[in-house]
Amino acid sequence: MAADDLMSSQKSHRTRKSGPTMRKKSEIDKKKRGVADNKQPNPRAFSVRSVVKAKRLKIRAVEKEQRRIHLPTADRTYGEPPPFVVVVQGPPGVGKSLVIKSLVKHFTHQNVPEVRGPITIVQGKKKRIQFVECPNDINGMIDCAKVADLAILLIDGSYGFEMETFEFLNIMQVHGFPKVMGVLTHLDKFKDVKKLRKTKQRLKHRFWTEIYNGAKLFYLSGLIHGKYSQREVLNLSRFISVIKFHPLSWRTSHPYVLADRLEDVTPPEKIQMDKKCDRNITLYGYLRGCNLKKGMKVHIAGVGDYSLAGVTALPDPCPLPSAAKKKGLRDREKLFYAPMSGIGDLLYDKDAVYININDHLVQYSKTDEVNGEPANKGRGKDVGEDLVKSLQNTKYSVDEKLEKTFINLFGKKTSASSERKLEEDAQSSPEGSDTESSEEFQSGDEVDDHEMDVDSNDGKIKEKTELRGGRLRRKAIFKDEDSDEDGDDDNDDEEAEDAESDGNEDEDEDGEDESVSDSQDSDEDDVEESEDKVLGNISKWKEPLKEKGRKKNPNLMQIVYGASASSATALINENNEISDDEDFFKPKGEHSKNLGGGLDAGHVNSEDCSKFVNYGNLKNWKEKEVCEDIRDRFTTGDWSKAALRNKNSVAGDEGEDDELYGDFEDLETGEKHNDHENMESGTNEDVEAAERRLKKLALRAKFDAQSDKSELEDDDNDNGDGINPRNSEAKEPGFVDKLKEELEIRKQMNLLELNDLDEDTRIEIEGYRTGTYLRLEIHNVPYEMVDFFDPCHPVLIGGIGFGEDSAGYMQARLKKHRWHKKVLKTRDPIIVSIGWRRYQTIPVYAIEDRNGRHRMLKYTPEHMHCLAMFWGPLVPPNTGFVAFQNLSTNQTGFRITATSVVLEYNHQTHIAKKIKLVGHPCKIKKNTAFIKDMFTSDLEIARFEGSSVRTVSGIRGQVKKAGKNMLDNNAQEGIARCTFEDQIKMSDIVFLRAWTPVEVPQFYNPLTTALQPRDKTWTGMKTFRELRSEHNIPIPVNKDSLYKPIERKTKKFNPLVIPKKLQAELPFASKPKNKPARKRPDLDARRAVVMEPEERKAHAIVQHYKLMSKVKINKKKAKEQEKRKAYEAEKAKKEVISKKRNREERRERYRTEDKQKKKMRRGQD
Amino acid sequence: MGKTTYKRLKGSQSFRQRLLLATLSSTPIIIDEIRADDMITGLLRHEMSLLRLFESVSDDCVVEVNETGTRLKYKPGIIMGGKNLVHSCALTRSMGYYLEPLLVLGLFGKKPLSIRLKGVTDDPKDLSVDTVRNATLHILKRFGVPSEGLDLKIEARGVAPEGGGEVLLTVPNVQSLTAVQWVEEGMVKKIRGWTFSARVSSDFEHSMRFAARGVFNNLLPDVHIFNDHKSGPHAGKSPGYGISLVAETTAGCYISADTAVSCGRADETGEIDVERQERKPAEDTGVEIASWLLQEIEKGGVVDSTHQGLLFILCALCQQDVSKVRVGTLSPYGVETLRNLKEFLGVTFSFRPDPSTGTVILTCVGSGLINLSRKLS
Repeated sequence: MAADDLMSSQKSHRTRKSGPTMRKKSEIDKKKRGVADNKQPNPRAFSVRSVVKAKRLKIRAVEKEQRRIHLPTADRTYGEPPPFVVVVQGPPGVGKSLVIKSLVKHFTHQNVPEVRGPITIVQGKKKRIQFVECPNDINGMIDCAKVADLAILLIDGSYGFEMETFEFLNIMQVHGFPKVMGVLTHLDKFKDVKKLRKTKQRLKHRFWTEIYNGAKLFYLSGLIHGKYSQREVLNLSRFISVIKFHPLSWRTSHPYVLADRLEDVTPPEKIQMDKKCDRNITLYGYLRGCNLKKGMKVHIAGVGDYSLAGVTALPDPCPLPSAAKKKGLRDREKLFYAPMSGIGDLLYDKDAVYININDHLVQYSKTDEVNGEPANKGRGKDVGEDLVKSLQNTKYSVDEKLEKTFINLFGKKTSASSERKLEEDAQSSPEGSDTESSEEFQSGDEVDDHEMDVDSNDGKIKEKTELRGGRLRRKAIFKDEDSDEDGDDDNDDEEAEDAESDGNEDEDEDGEDESVSDSQDSDEDDVEESEDKVLGNISKWKEPLKEKGRKKNPNLMQIVYGASASSATALINENNEISDDEDFFKPKGEHSKNLGGGLDAGHVNSEDCSKFVNYGNLKNWKEKEVCEDIRDRFTTGDWSKAALRNKNSVAGDEGEDDELYGDFEDLETGEKHNDHENMESGTNEDVEAAERRLKKLALRAKFDAQSDKSELEDDDNDNGDGINPRNSEAKEPGFVDKLKEELEIRKQMNLLELNDLDEDTRIEIEGYRTGTYLRLEIHNVPYEMVDFFDPCHPVLIGGIGFGEDSAGYMQARLKKHRWHKKVLKTRDPIIVSIGWRRYQTIPVYAIEDRNGRHRMLKYTPEHMHCLAMFWGPLVPPNTGFVAFQNLSTNQTGFRITATSVVLEYNHQTHIAKKIKLVGHPCKIKKNTAFIKDMFTSDLEIARFEGSSVRTVSGIRGQVKKAGKNMLDNNAQEGIARCTFEDQIKMSDIVFLRAWTPVEVPQFYNPLTTALQPRDKTWTGMKTFRELRSEHNIPIPVNKDSLYKPIERKTKKFNPLVIPKKLQAELPFASKPKNKPARKRPDLDARRAVVMEPEERKAHAIVQHYKLMSKVKINKKKAKEQEKRKAYEAEKAKKEVISKKRNREERRERYRTEDKQKKKMRRGQD
Repeated sequence: MGKTTYKRLKGSQSFRQRLLLATLSSTPIIIDEIRADDMITGLLRHEMSLLRLFESVSDDCVVEVNETGTRLKYKPGIIMGGKNLVHSCALTRSMGYYLEPLLVLGLFGKKPLSIRLKGVTDDPKDLSVDTVRNATLHILKRFGVPSEGLDLKIEARGVAPEGGGEVLLTVPNVQSLTAVQWVEEGMVKKIRGWTFSARVSSDFEHSMRFAARGVFNNLLPDVHIFNDHKSGPHAGKSPGYGISLVAETTAGCYISADTAVSCGRADETGEIDVERQERKPAEDTGVEIASWLLQEIEKGGVVDSTHQGLLFILCALCQQDVSKVRVGTLSPYGVETLRNLKEFLGVTFSFRPDPSTGTVILTCVGSGLINLSRKLS
């Protein structure tokens, strides 16, 4: 390459001579040379100085370590892991699809025309990735956050962070935080390098505060020819591939499927009759989370809850490469699968599948056409190719082909005659077939039959993969798809066919190339000819399967669960039964009739009794011979035989173990029994299985040789007596390590057990394993889901656990988001995203008082957690949720209003609010008063008997009884007799403070965003405020609650009047003395005071002294003032001088500095 | 989702399990045709009593029974548990009938359960309280139920016609059960027994003990049978006696057999007087139960046939790990349990018969039920 040449001309790499790595190297070097470097600068620096401090440090270190530790979670995913979901999220116009496109291009060398729906690619030998582009609508963001294993947040570097990013982060945080990686784009808009660097730095730190310090932020420097530079995409892909995903608790306990295909399989007649009829749909996708059992209910996000009408495991459309040892991926193993984005030149429309073939990509067929015979010779062996070529040669439209029905579409081999015929026809009537690229699948079969077909195809996968070898990878995928799709596509086309009025049935070509080799459809033509024949085929189909089922389980399983339990044929029936609840009991009843006696109790009203005793056929255990039979079951018997008995069953099918038994029989002494037991349980497991387990365990880094031994022992103990025998020895390697080990052992045991079962039984017992590609059939979905289906929005199907489909009250700890500007109001509907669901509900906020009472709050606190009670489908405690008020996209500001976590659920709420009953006295008798207006009826009073009341002035009292009898008989109802600690006044207001329970409205409204055009904003219940503003209703105002200026009149007291009679009895001192008013002041007031001469003298002297001291003080003050003035003047003078000097100094310094700088600059120039 | 969809069932069979599993999996059920064609139609007294027990233990469950009692609508609520609960059981069945579902139910409650049951403590149909205490609770412990707080205290005995017994059951609540690998039966190392007599002479006990011990003479020296003679208020209202034997193996399995004999006069309840036409001597009862215990031991398995149902339920309620247990011949009750488990929890067992010992090894993956009602602290 030219670039390489350029590279060589550049200067060579200079090794670093400083920095930490070099220092380390030099140290190593020193060591090698034997230079002792034990010169410590201060050896006492790190010794213990203070015991207390050392203790504290130690505690801190231990605490830190503990905080680092997480409780290990059990990993119950046994199968091949499903592809990891990488969600690419960002505000609009930031380059999301381009990132996906370039990543896909990087991984598979394929161009993706358009990113619609998940794109699955094989990324490495053991790793697959599913790219999902997150739509810009908040519903899509929520669903994406729920499935993402890794979120790539695209940020427009030139613009900075946008709200979407933070909203998405918050949503993710609430639903279990998956891995996050930031990518800055649009960095080519910066012209200034410095500014770019600073922006990067700033954004990085902002990003870190949001996630954690050191979170990865990646930079895509800009576009080159409308694409990101290859090197950067490569780096990004490396970062993606090394990320480790950790399990999130909600997801590991709930199965979920991110659908990458949706098909409408409603019978076309039904749709024709009524376009708005409920539809049957099938959804395809990888199963994630945990195992999915049959009969589980699911929630389709944005649609609702449905029970699965059918589940089928399909062959993986994008399988991992074989386990052969090699480095990297072969080109043909770089598969990818994206049915909704038209990748691989397949385009899935609502009711048809289109195939695009670019001329330049179809190389070999071109050459064929050019070369004709010779090329054919070269590759003639390949049947698939033959077929493809024959198909390519045809110049007919599908209709025409069908009419003539000479193409053997799905035959294993094209018959020579048909080929010939094809060629002839091709010559005779050359019609452009290139334009006709839409093929439709067609058959008269029903869905269930297709399931069978699909199963049947399993056998052919290998062949297909071989076929794959010779050609373009893209096509290989396509074929794979076909093999699992043909079932339901047919149905789609049925509709299509019905829609077209012409009776012609469109033959499907099933992709020009290899799928022709698909097996079953040699009968495809027959299908068209006669339905009966098809049925015949089906029955043929079923026969071997039935046999298979029978062969597998001729055992107790059938007796217990009925004959149909595990065979594949019965599966369909069973599903049907599940779908209609009405008669699900029937099979059992029938079955019981069939079986008759024996184990089955017979009729439905048999007694419910766990004991099954008939003493009639008891043996006479007193006889010695009888006892001998069970002698070995007792400790007095033969220990080795007993041990043998235990072992026997476990290793029942294994021949090798029998030889081992022989050894045991020799040993009879009781003392050695312990060893026996251990040995016995050691050989307990099948040898092969144990080996397998060991191998697996050995792979684990955690288990080195030492722990391996202990693990084995543990295992034995486990088999022995179940209860953890390990607790005692948990100390040495650390509790967490032990836990981890235990989980690992558990997993291996599970694997061992499950792998022993045959496939059908395993699915029956365990459910579908994670990582399987599933086809879920769901019935009676509203037609809108199909009509408004948009592949850009993720279709999330989540499993519902026990009890999660019933509604109840939930209590959550909620906090208003700090970025949401307003507080939330009680009973204002909010939209929550919780579990898989999104729904609108009406919360009541509360706070827990000290006495445990939940007091209602009208508004959420501003910066505090509060409790929120709401009604909705239950979720297990500890599930987080996020609340919104408005989902519209064109909203400014932050849309997340609150985040929260569910604490518990209940069937009732215990929220109370304060209530103040206000009354007025209507009659006062000493300390008793009759209060009216407080209660409305006597019954109500009875409820409040004994409760305390109070007046405004603080006189306390108690409600006694209804005061009806006390007053005149025609008194109105609801007057209560109360006693107070003092007499109250008629003008007093009496009030009673009490608590009243608050009802939480039983309202929840699932968001049906998938049932409406995606660009439309979902509207649910409106808040009061919205309604008021809409209808122009003013806010009601209670006049009493308004604040008014307080006017207080000055109280005028009347003069005290003492009755005459009382006056007369009072003692004289207390008697009011009636003095008549005087005009002139009395003598006391008028008389003058004259001093004695001595007194006068003394007075004069005192006055003199006072005067003197006053003068002295004044003089002193004047002096001080003068002094201060002088000092201040001096100080001011000094200051002026020093300022001047400073200024001069500074000026001088600057001057010299400037000069120096100039000099330097000059010198540099 | 607004409307609750009910699971429809028929007949009165495995009534307890249906209620239990419906409650645990919160599936609303409708049971139709309960003894519709029988002489005594509809729910029996003990069944009604059980419903009431479920109501008292759980919160907000809805029970509707039609007039004839042939149709039951049950919508489970949240299992609350709680202290100081009292339930008087119907006298038609003994306490074992109520205890079996209650033990499991209590594990998944919001609070630890402590309930006082009043009624008949022992009868021949159901587990005697002694057996529950000495065998059943041990089985629970296997599944990770903490042993503190798991207790059954027998405060008063009471036998069939009149009852009058009283037991105090305490069950802790758990987050989830742990799966077990329980295939080793071990060898019987000791046999313990409990006899009781209420309102009758303790001679009955002595003769039972003597007879029962005689059976084990050939096999095991370590046999000890305790007696529990009650009189006065602790003896209940009717006379009777009974025995419960538990064999403990080296692998920690408990195999039990029990019965009770009521000496009460035949009174209004018609069933009892039919059964009790001729009473066997106490020695025969002792021998019978001892032989029955040996028969259970002969059958093999880690539990006796009576406990099979409980064992399967516990296995099915475990975390999503593989449980493996060995039982003797499947009892009808066990089979019924298996079917119910499949119906309610979707848990299917796989069976591996072991012809050499006549036992069956059952394997299942637990349903992963976790105690949802427990509050997040």
